Amino acid sequence: MPIKSYLVHPHRGRKKELIKALSVIDQCQIVPAENKDLIVLVTDTETGKEEENLKEKLEAIESLKLLAMVSGFNTP
Amino acid sequence: MRKRLGIISFFVIIFIAFIVIWNYSYQQGLEEAYTPIIETPTGKYIPSESGVFRRFDDAGLGYANMPVDENHQRTLKDYYDNRAYPGAPPSIPHPVKKERSLGGNTCIQCHQKGGFVEKFNTYAPVTPHPEMVNCRQCHVTKKTNTTFKEFAFAKVRPPKVGEGINNAMPGSPPMIPHQLQMRENCISCHAGPSAPKEIRVTHPERINCRQCHLPSVIEQVDHNVFSRQTNYDE
Amino acid sequence: MYTSLSNRRSFIKKMAMLSAMTAAASMFPGILFADEQEKGIPDNVNLDWKKGPCRFCGVGCGILVGTENGKAVAVKGDPNCSVNKGLLCVKGYHQIMCIQSKDRLTHALVKKNGRYVQTPLDEALDIVANKMKETIASHGKDSVAMYTSGQSTIPEGYVASKLMKGAIGTNNLDCNARLCMASAVTGFLTSFGADEPMGCYEDIDHADYFVTWGNNMAEMHPVLFSRMLEQKSLRGAKIIDFATRTTRSSTASDRSILFEPQTDLAVANAICYEIIKNGWVNKSFIEKHCSFSKGLTNMGYGLEDKYKFKDKPEKIDFEAYKEFLKDYSPEKVSKYSKVSVKDIKYLASIYGNPNNKVVSYWCMGMNQHTRGTWMNNLVYNIHLLTGKISQPGNGPFSLTGQPSACGTAREVGTFTHKLPKGVVMNKKHRELAAKIWKVPVERIPSKPTYHATEMFRAVDRGDIKFIWTQATNPLVSLPKTSRYRPAMEKKSCFVVVSDVFPTPTSDVADVILPAAWHIEKSGLYGNSERRTQHWNKMVEAPGEATADAWMFIEVAKRMGYGDLFPYSKENHVEEIYNEYKQFHEGAKHGMAPLEVLKKESGAIWPYVNGKSTQWRFNAKYDPACSNGEAFHFYGKPDGKAVIWQRPFEEAPEKPDKEYPFWLNTGRVVEHWHTGSMTRRIPVLHQAMPNAYVEFHPDDAKKLGIRNGENIKVSSKRGSCVLPASINERGLPTKGQVFVPFFDENMLINDVTLDAFCPISKEPDYKKCAVKVQKV
Repeated sequence: MPIKSYLVHPHRGRKKELIKALSVIDQCQIVPAENKDLIVLVTDTETGKEEENLKEKLEAIESLKLLAMVSGFNTP
Repeated sequence: MRKRLGIISFFVIIFIAFIVIWNYSYQQGLEEAYTPIIETPTGKYIPSESGVFRRFDDAGLGYANMPVDENHQRTLKDYYDNRAYPGAPPSIPHPVKKERSLGGNTCIQCHQKGGFVEKFNTYAPVTPHPEMVNCRQCHVTKKTNTTFKEFAFAKVRPPKVGEGINNAMPGSPPMIPHQLQMRENCISCHAGPSAPKEIRVTHPERINCRQCHLPSVIEQVDHNVFSRQTNYDE
Repeated sequence: MYTSLSNRRSFIKKMAMLSAMTAAASMFPGILFADEQEKGIPDNVNLDWKKGPCRFCGVGCGILVGTENGKAVAVKGDPNCSVNKGLLCVKGYHQIMCIQSKDRLTHALVKKNGRYVQTPLDEALDIVANKMKETIASHGKDSVAMYTSGQSTIPEGYVASKLMKGAIGTNNLDCNARLCMASAVTGFLTSFGADEPMGCYEDIDHADYFVTWGNNMAEMHPVLFSRMLEQKSLRGAKIIDFATRTTRSSTASDRSILFEPQTDLAVANAICYEIIKNGWVNKSFIEKHCSFSKGLTNMGYGLEDKYKFKDKPEKIDFEAYKEFLKDYSPEKVSKYSKVSVKDIKYLASIYGNPNNKVVSYWCMGMNQHTRGTWMNNLVYNIHLLTGKISQPGNGPFSLTGQPSACGTAREVGTFTHKLPKGVVMNKKHRELAAKIWKVPVERIPSKPTYHATEMFRAVDRGDIKFIWTQATNPLVSLPKTSRYRPAMEKKSCFVVVSDVFPTPTSDVADVILPAAWHIEKSGLYGNSERRTQHWNKMVEAPGEATADAWMFIEVAKRMGYGDLFPYSKENHVEEIYNEYKQFHEGAKHGMAPLEVLKKESGAIWPYVNGKSTQWRFNAKYDPACSNGEAFHFYGKPDGKAVIWQRPFEEAPEKPDKEYPFWLNTGRVVEHWHTGSMTRRIPVLHQAMPNAYVEFHPDDAKKLGIRNGENIKVSSKRGSCVLPASINERGLPTKGQVFVPFFDENMLINDVTLDAFCPISKEPDYKKCAVKVQKV
């Protein structure tokens, strides 16, 4: 059951839009920074397959500029 | 011959250099000696003030990152059951390793930094005063549960804890309902896996505890406590 | 925030989140995740939270006040405020409790035949206005005076200045910030030509060393100190405590160095000597950006009435400055400063090492000093010589003690010589003020009159016949109150006191006006880092208690100046701020618009093109720099900061045979200012119910004094009886005693000396000679 955390950079001026897009995805938990254009994202999925699907979904979001993984765990 | 001269002169140079350096450092030493310096008090100066910061000097325990083992937590009841009254030194609830030691290098092995002890199936409590090495001056073992004669000491009730009991307003920091002497190092009892669960602090990464939490038990007698003489409402 | 092992998954998620946040924090220092912090705050009550700045010290923490049914019931730190990031100190958390105090002043009181009679506010204001008019008519404009506060809001200070200087036409306006910040002001003006620190609190996140000069930040600026401690444990930043007394801050610092009172002047010079001797001078920086000057010496101490002094600056060169420093070799200075040669060299090497980022912090220790201006100059010298200034993590930082010492006293200018922009002596500045105030320029007098100490001397002499004080308690906070209390009791002077609580000052008043407290009115403060903070009224004031600004306006109207004060009762704060803002227009001091201040937890001026300027004089951050170089000290006409040649001079009064102890006074973490507010907060009173006199254990032993025994502390001026404190909160050096000044029942200021810095006119509360006896 993979758990991964990312730093998510939005495109300029589209942070709000990105927050909205991320917060509707079930497996995502987000903490937006107050004073910088940056969002911390933690994903929590059941299987590796689901994880891969989610990743694709994330990368398809238009307001997202860059997705940088910070840490990953895999619990049995 | 030449070689020998060379060696001799080499040693002479070293010797002279030694004398010069020694003299210089001696002079330097003298220079400071005659100025009356105000020495910074070292060690246990103002224990009531320095204790709270002590954890960072020696232990270096990452209290903020310590996970809590819910199956092996102490409760506040356990904590007080082991003391004759709130503030009394706890007795030793387990057999001691070396009966003839003061405790300095025995007790401290477990009680300076704490940690899980398989044998007792619990975490060793951390002492707030590891610098006091004659542990068994105050902490004694318990060999029997009987009393010599009938016993009538009324046990003082320990201070209560919980939201709204020690704090003045919703969400405001609770005050310290106990004396601080020998317990100046807050973190040793209020954080980590051995901390009684009721009094475990949510923010052990903060350092200057008494910036927000003040003692509410004042031991001194009131001196001319704040009183206003004038009464305007006439 | 602890986690449970039984819920392994959420623990791992939390760890994952934390590691991402840590990574983010290393990429973007100062990044805030408010959500996360807000979760940690218990929110079991359904309260309405309103933002504002804290009422107490000059740090200016953001607070959120929880209100329920029109009453303030809780306080929490504002996690969105970059000053404190959600943390407060014990005073901040409990501040709103004082307004529920039963002896709150809720109605105007007028003294009639020796008794206070409750009077409708309108009537009381009539009496004040009439008395003021009468006094002016019979004794002239300069017979009325106003003494305000660094706790007054920006609009309050502004209308006070407009009323006195613009409407009435007298410079008899000074404030209690004279007692705490004046030396910092003159220090900034003489060295840089522009008041207030160049850096900001974010320096803490970048510095490698914090050097605190006579400053017990753990108790006096606890939130900033906690930020320093955080950096200490995160990055290994070091705290060096340089003081005359061992305190809570000393115990938390990496090195504590003690010195003999007054010799900080010599040690600062010795540090400069070492910096030059070891070639640590940043040559290109001083060539491009610094000039050298000297001023008059042996200035005296202002102990006599009507004392006057004017400095005569004279340009010198680097060689002359080097020659002057020859008297300050560490070896020579060590002999009388009692600081070891090693420690002086250590301090110098901290500043000298080009790889170190160093911030110096100070507050009252350096400001309340008979050579306070010099001492401020000397610390600037150290930073200028090494070029460690105006950069993130590098710079001198003068802290303030009152919430709006900067915003109101210094920026609005409620000093006798000041105008909202500039000084009364300058014709252009008077013209600007006259234009904005819409008064004839001739009405604003060009000569300053009384500074704080001299103002109360004038009351004593009978020169001032009417005085109005607001939001301050001079009969506890002035030095040598043993003279000024009888002075204020004299029949010759009519005393009006506006306050929230009865104090020893209101005890001598002829009219007492009930003031609204902080959250009972709207207002603006300005904190130490040039941050302007706005708040809206949160609760109703009890009885007839009214905002100070509105009481000024009412009196002004009654005196016939209504056309100059066309503000509305509901909106006067906004109207006044918008008028005041015009004074500071431009890149050097532009103030943020009100809409921004309402939305954010304050903004730092100069606020230019929608952005706060965090580091002034540095071209990278400050749009006002115009010389094409990396730095521009635009406060001075030549664009250069001044390195001042300032010698060591003795204190006016030193311990002798009869009075063998130094007396040092100060504060404790529990109480603020004269305790009129904090003592009415039960939690704080219970933790610190009364003042005390602190001894070194050796002195106590020699005198046979035990903890808690009553001790009479006396000087040539007066005496005070307090319980002894040994090995408790602090540890004075041998031959020194320390007393906190918050206690109106133990008035230590009866004992202190009213000597002041001749340049800033700020009194020295930290040094006088006393004797002690058991009673």
